[in-house]
Amino acid sequence: MSVPLQRPVANKVLFMATCLCDAFYDDAARASVEVLEHLGIEVIFPENQTCCGQPAFNSGDWKASRKVARHAAEVFGGDLPVIVPSGSCAAMHSHGNRLQFEACPEPAIESLANRTWEILDYLVHGLGISTWKGAFAAPTRIAFHRSCHTRGTRTGEAAHALLSSIRNAEVVAFGQEDQCCGFGGTFSVTFPHISGRMGSLKLDHILAQQPDLLVSADMSCLMHLTGLARTQGRPVQHQHAIQVLRDTLA
Amino acid sequence: MSRESIFSKIRTALEPLAEKTSHPGFDDESITSSSRLQGSLREAFQRNLEAVHGRILNTPDTLASFLRENDCLHGYCDPDLMDPLGHALSAVGLIVETEYDRQRYEDYRFGITQATGAIAESGTIILDDTLTRDRLAALSPWVHIAVFPESSLHRSLSDALTHLGPSHNVIWVTGPSKTADVEGILIEGVHGPGEQIAYLTP
Amino acid sequence: MIDRQPIDTYATRISEEKQTSVITGATASTEKRQSVLFGDFPNTHDLRRLAGQIKDHTLHHLDHYLEQAEAALSRNGVKVHFADTDEDARQAVLSILRDHQVTQLTKSKSMASEEIHLNPFLIDQGIEVLESDLGEFIIQLDGDEPSHIVRPIIHKNRREIARTFQRAGIARDLNDDPEVITRRARAFLREKYMQAQAVITGGNFISCESGRVVLVTNEGNSRFGMAPSKLHIALIGIEKLVPSDRDLGVFLNLLGRSATGQQLTVYTEFISGPKDPTQPSGPEEMHVVLMNNGRTDVLASDGREILRCIRCSACQNVCPVYRQASGHAYRSPYGGPIGAVLSPLLFGDRFPELADLPKASSLCGACNEVCPVDIPIPDLLLRLRDKAKRAHISQPGDLPMAPFATLATSPSLWRTAMTMSKAMNHLPIDVAPFRPIQDWLGQRTLPESHGGDFRKWLKNRSKEQGLRDTPQ
Repeated sequence: MSVPLQRPVANKVLFMATCLCDAFYDDAARASVEVLEHLGIEVIFPENQTCCGQPAFNSGDWKASRKVARHAAEVFGGDLPVIVPSGSCAAMHSHGNRLQFEACPEPAIESLANRTWEILDYLVHGLGISTWKGAFAAPTRIAFHRSCHTRGTRTGEAAHALLSSIRNAEVVAFGQEDQCCGFGGTFSVTFPHISGRMGSLKLDHILAQQPDLLVSADMSCLMHLTGLARTQGRPVQHQHAIQVLRDTLA
Repeated sequence: MSRESIFSKIRTALEPLAEKTSHPGFDDESITSSSRLQGSLREAFQRNLEAVHGRILNTPDTLASFLRENDCLHGYCDPDLMDPLGHALSAVGLIVETEYDRQRYEDYRFGITQATGAIAESGTIILDDTLTRDRLAALSPWVHIAVFPESSLHRSLSDALTHLGPSHNVIWVTGPSKTADVEGILIEGVHGPGEQIAYLTP
Repeated sequence: MIDRQPIDTYATRISEEKQTSVITGATASTEKRQSVLFGDFPNTHDLRRLAGQIKDHTLHHLDHYLEQAEAALSRNGVKVHFADTDEDARQAVLSILRDHQVTQLTKSKSMASEEIHLNPFLIDQGIEVLESDLGEFIIQLDGDEPSHIVRPIIHKNRREIARTFQRAGIARDLNDDPEVITRRARAFLREKYMQAQAVITGGNFISCESGRVVLVTNEGNSRFGMAPSKLHIALIGIEKLVPSDRDLGVFLNLLGRSATGQQLTVYTEFISGPKDPTQPSGPEEMHVVLMNNGRTDVLASDGREILRCIRCSACQNVCPVYRQASGHAYRSPYGGPIGAVLSPLLFGDRFPELADLPKASSLCGACNEVCPVDIPIPDLLLRLRDKAKRAHISQPGDLPMAPFATLATSPSLWRTAMTMSKAMNHLPIDVAPFRPIQDWLGQRTLPESHGGDFRKWLKNRSKEQGLRDTPQ
């Protein structure tokens, strides 16, 4: 996974909520806005935004996904940083789009790739925030699931650093952390058996640590994992890392 | 016919390639594990050899008792190594032959051969066709004893690669023969020796 | 009809016993690799990139290097043959064997030979062929197929192996102690080595500068096979070249560590021709068959990075899909991520029937992360998915994406859909007549829809702010 090294940092940003937050996880999007504003950043939400195009891209229908990518590049035009509360959607902008446009690069697509930040990466590496001045009311064990699309990026370490610095928080290690949870978007639909087995294995490792909270930088992994967990009768409290940051603010 | 066809297909495949990667070049140190080279070369060699379950034995006495303990009472010794090593083993009652007869390969429970050298970084013993008189004598016995002077120790894999020498067959042996094919369980002594011994001479 | 993909279907059918063997074996290999590789070098990822670049350099100048290798091999007294197709390769091997009246040979593990189904071919020609790698030997006894590049019997447990040995008459009892199994194979194969007139091996690398063929094994089977044989045939893919002896250091350092967590494989053999004249053991004649079999097609494709592969199996071990489905699910000698890319490219005439392989991935990227030659496997999987779509090849599990694209490029339609999605909260969608939705919801509880709520919150908030901002 390649991530541009020089990306813009500004006090005014474009916010991409992602389709999952649009449909299910409104509070994660809300927390993103609230945390950014708390840090004195002006957040602009382009109304016409939809999705990054990943479902079509991963399915191999690049004709369809290029259409969606062009739409996103237009909606998020300009030169402001684009902040996304998802490692997966951020990777689509920075990496996936480059791949599907490699034969015929387009400036707007390239610009979007160079301006997109996953939100925790932005806090730590863009704004230089290394510790989070927040606190849990009681000691809280956090299992941090490092989503696959943050491999080779700095989101994992950023999230880990911020979460660990919260007072009363303990980020607990669990087995085989670098194994995928099995979501993979359309993969979970067309490989239901394997996807379910992967998710159950992941849950076994996580729940063995008896965490109070399961946290990730991607709601997609959490939707899959907690969906499995509830059906299996072993529900687990979960939040996007940005929700944790907001909720623990003093 | 195949030859021309392959070359022509390669050239056709490469023609549209706009950018060709040049050889990146590298420093030998970047591919050397310095953590494995702590201490003297001799110490590093021993540590790394032992890590792969090989061992160093240094005197005829220790070798003789090791062979007895492992019930290896009959073996082969390179004639050039009879004095003093082979003779010392015969003197304490072991059967030592200086001819390897492959018809009786099961008779040889140990094989003493010369080695070209060794690699400290990995605990590897180096054999080649010119110095090791019979490949089989270093391979079929349960215990292989490789004899070489301490001065022939190479520091790293990179060093050893630049000194492969003229022999048509060079082999690096890093510990006893092994497999983990059955349920991932490590078993030593599959086709080759189950014990690999380095016998360093001054 | 929308259904599950073939590899997922395969995975539902494998026995719990086989599944456990694969998961346990692959997981253990991944963990061993991790501890060795990262303890030894200050920056392992730099090393992986270096190796990838050297391979790319060689592949981008393959015509030059292949000529150089041919010249160096010939200079060393090796007889060089070129085989463009699988049939050419089989015939080349057969004619060498016929020239030497070989009736009995041993073979050390070679993926290239698996690729061209050399064993059944030679056996049909009346030649006794015996695999000497313990795992491959067991595969041969069982009439099975290898399911892993480095550990061909990763899918078997000791009880099955003991039964195989008894059936084949190698053991009288069902002792399944791995040590006993190994000793029995040792005794049986030694006799065979001594009788064989020829040995067939693969080759891990060829140094173009020196013409040294490098062969690595842990068991010592290729060494033992070669020692009593008069004739050595090495069947090697044309992508196995590296420019110089010095470059070998990069790859040898990575191969053992990535494959089995060893710093170096036990036996690393540098062969530059027939045995030395004073040496009693070893082949008097050496032949190298340089095989194309589709490699130039891969070189011409936008998946050419896969030719960097040094067959270490690290991507198989780490791959969660491989762990669930086993290597056999991939319908070629190459299972797991490497196979999902290599097979459809290498066996190009079978692309339509292999085009589902690249879809068997959640694109998690673990394969790239462990690859010792830094092959961007997920990118290559994606390119192959695109290729299949463009060629109008579809599988039962493909989802139509055009409606999604229409929705995702029509903002007002999108917003309406988001708001309407709340209706799902009140509809019995788990009885929807779509198999994937049923499957998905059968295993998972969908979160409650909050479609459009974030947008509503933003709007209300700006209204409030607007009010607050209004001067009193």
